[in-house]
Amino acid sequence: MNRREFIKSAVIVGAALSVPPIVDPLITRVLGADKPDLVVAQGMPPAKITRAAIDGLGGIKRFIARGDIVVVKPNIGWDRTPEYAANTNPQVVATVIRLCFEAGAAKVKVFDNTVNDARRTYRQSGIADAAKSAGALVSFIDERKFKDMRINGLILKSWPLYTEVFEADKVINVPIAKTHGLSQLTLGMKNWMGVMGGWRGRIHQRIDESLVDLAMTVKPALTILDAVRILMDNGPSGGDLKDVKILNMVIAGVDPVAVDAFGTTLFGMKPADLGYIRIGHQVGLGSMDLGKLRIQRIRV
Amino acid sequence: MIVMLRRLSQTLFLLLFLWLFLQTESKGENLLGYPVKIFLDADPLIFITTALSSRSFFQPLLWVILVVIATVVLGRVFCGWVCPLGTLHNLVGTLRKKNRSVKAFNKYQWKYYLLFFLLVSSLFTLQLTGIFDPISLLIRSISLAVYPALQYAATGFFDSLYASEVSVIVYISESIYTLFKQTLLSFQQPLFWQSVFIGGLFLLILALNIREPRFWCKYLCPLGALLGIFSRYAILKRSVSEGCNNCGVCTQSCQGAAEPNSKEKWRKTECLACMNCDDLCPQNAVSFGFSLTKPTAAMDLGKRRVMASMLSGLMAVPFFRMTPLSKPGASDPKLIRPPGAFAEREFLQKCVKCGECMKVCLTNGLQPTLWEAGVEGIWSPILVPRIGYCEYGCTLCGQVCPTGAILKLSLAEKAKVKIGLAMIDLSRCLPYAHATSCIVCEEVCPTPKKAIWFETALVKKRTGQTLTLKKPHVDLELCIGCGICEAKCPVLGHPAISVTCLGESRSKENQLLLL
Repeated sequence: MNRREFIKSAVIVGAALSVPPIVDPLITRVLGADKPDLVVAQGMPPAKITRAAIDGLGGIKRFIARGDIVVVKPNIGWDRTPEYAANTNPQVVATVIRLCFEAGAAKVKVFDNTVNDARRTYRQSGIADAAKSAGALVSFIDERKFKDMRINGLILKSWPLYTEVFEADKVINVPIAKTHGLSQLTLGMKNWMGVMGGWRGRIHQRIDESLVDLAMTVKPALTILDAVRILMDNGPSGGDLKDVKILNMVIAGVDPVAVDAFGTTLFGMKPADLGYIRIGHQVGLGSMDLGKLRIQRIRV
Repeated sequence: MIVMLRRLSQTLFLLLFLWLFLQTESKGENLLGYPVKIFLDADPLIFITTALSSRSFFQPLLWVILVVIATVVLGRVFCGWVCPLGTLHNLVGTLRKKNRSVKAFNKYQWKYYLLFFLLVSSLFTLQLTGIFDPISLLIRSISLAVYPALQYAATGFFDSLYASEVSVIVYISESIYTLFKQTLLSFQQPLFWQSVFIGGLFLLILALNIREPRFWCKYLCPLGALLGIFSRYAILKRSVSEGCNNCGVCTQSCQGAAEPNSKEKWRKTECLACMNCDDLCPQNAVSFGFSLTKPTAAMDLGKRRVMASMLSGLMAVPFFRMTPLSKPGASDPKLIRPPGAFAEREFLQKCVKCGECMKVCLTNGLQPTLWEAGVEGIWSPILVPRIGYCEYGCTLCGQVCPTGAILKLSLAEKAKVKIGLAMIDLSRCLPYAHATSCIVCEEVCPTPKKAIWFETALVKKRTGQTLTLKKPHVDLELCIGCGICEAKCPVLGHPAISVTCLGESRSKENQLLLL
């Protein structure tokens, strides 16, 4: 261990000690004791249902503390405008950012490792403009900030991941619900491919286990699934308005497996149809048992 | 005084050129919003030769006419006051040891022979002008060599400071780096084939200034020659009064090969209107003024030599074209031209190899050819998907092309243009050859209805266990050959899916499907 690694680990240990590890989940549990597991808000406009969904979970202050540095991770992967439902809805993203600031967040960072050219996807998706006007720091991926990280998962042992995600106090996942050729649907857990560096296409060889490994590593404070528009076919890139279905819905939850499990129902599927949800459930990342989850539905 | 004015004009035009160069890059919108190719638009040599070789007009006439009128009235003011390459020559010339007297090379005729060669070859449809045209040469050299080198150096410098991890240094260097990235640097490191070759040639041309200032402009530049011909009857003329004592200061300071010491017999076509002789004359004997008198000095090019250069222009046509590449099916399958490019023959009649399309290409996928399109097509653009694919919603290359070799397409038009077809290599594709799942090509395929579809197949692994796999197929009717599948294919080295130009919309012969 060299000096730099020592300091780094010391800082991490120090940060962990500041909140005793036994107390931390307790606090979360106490705060969320009487709260639903999932909130499904439906209505117009996107900003309103996003706010309603988070309020339904107990409000943003349950997740974000004063002074937090927050990463809000939307899907900005594709060179498509919002109506094609290939990227997260910009209004949903902007609302999440505004809520973070209302809870006293010091900084909110927004980025994604895109598939198409980032200059275009940031602009065409409407996310760069919306996030900036909400006060977030929007940045393009800086290759130097990918560091090999130990994952020790089912399949992935280590992978270059984006350090800003791990340096943040809180991470909020803001994916969009779409079809996908291999994993069938891309929902919340798949969105973490956007913090992977390297030749990430390789994970498709064992996509389900890899996605669970990633989700176990990133640990978001909150997942907001954008289903304002969902992409029913030719995902994840889309490009045909006929494949887009307007649901005007946002799903919020703490349990990433539960959010994705609910997401399958939007496409007329069952949670167990998707490998990564099944495995996530089995390894205890979360619950896909929709029957046992407390789901609150809100109409705005 | 007037020399100061000239220097100011040169500086402004050079800065304008460089600023437009920096604007030749996407900021996320599809439209650039700046007239980045205006220097090429104003280039009469490119205008005339392209019109001859392609038998069509594309460039806006306005700027060319302006330059021609200015030349006909004032002489080669474009060379002396405007041309950014000329200004760079001036700058490099200042590195030269003062008072170093070398006998002038004095082959000002050469550039005329080159001009006649180019005019005649373009008359017979062979367009080689872009190789020598100063504006084209400058944009190509900066785009493909100088700018990438500067970016590489800057990135390397800031990266090494960043790696130091000393927080004060990193804080300062990163703030400067961020400022640089927002202003001078490119979004990503541009990398080009032949950077060293193209950059080396450029350095060589600049280095000639050490031998003699503005060597290129005096002896080689074909645009200078064309403007020289236009300036022959210019009404701005130089006169030398009785006070001249033949001190020779004017000859030493002359930026052209105009021989100002020969007084009324000075070579007007070689005068760049730099005004040095007027400014520096110790006797104040030189003055410029308007008059309609006939020029006295002949151009002295030699009929035989002119004939020879024209003949070689003619001979160049079969010489450069006799290659099996033009046979249907024998052309290079990797010759993937940008979307909106004309059929190969017509494309080469128009392309002036300026490199604007390569500079602006979002993914860096457009690269200069070497032999892929024959000698005639050297430095013309091809898409190399493994370096960068063609972005589905982007039409930048067509927007910056100065001669319409790549047409400016609307997004709806572009969506229909095939630049080639993707095909799968079953011996390398993971699901086919290795019973391993992978869908990357399908995932990234940008057509609204994906051009890659799956056949679900049960495959037996070595262990005896069966596996359901999705085997990709390319729908040749939907595939547009953009190459994103090849760019993102996880089978590195030889990708398991790759694009060739077979099936390109621009060609009648290079087709595969019956319908």
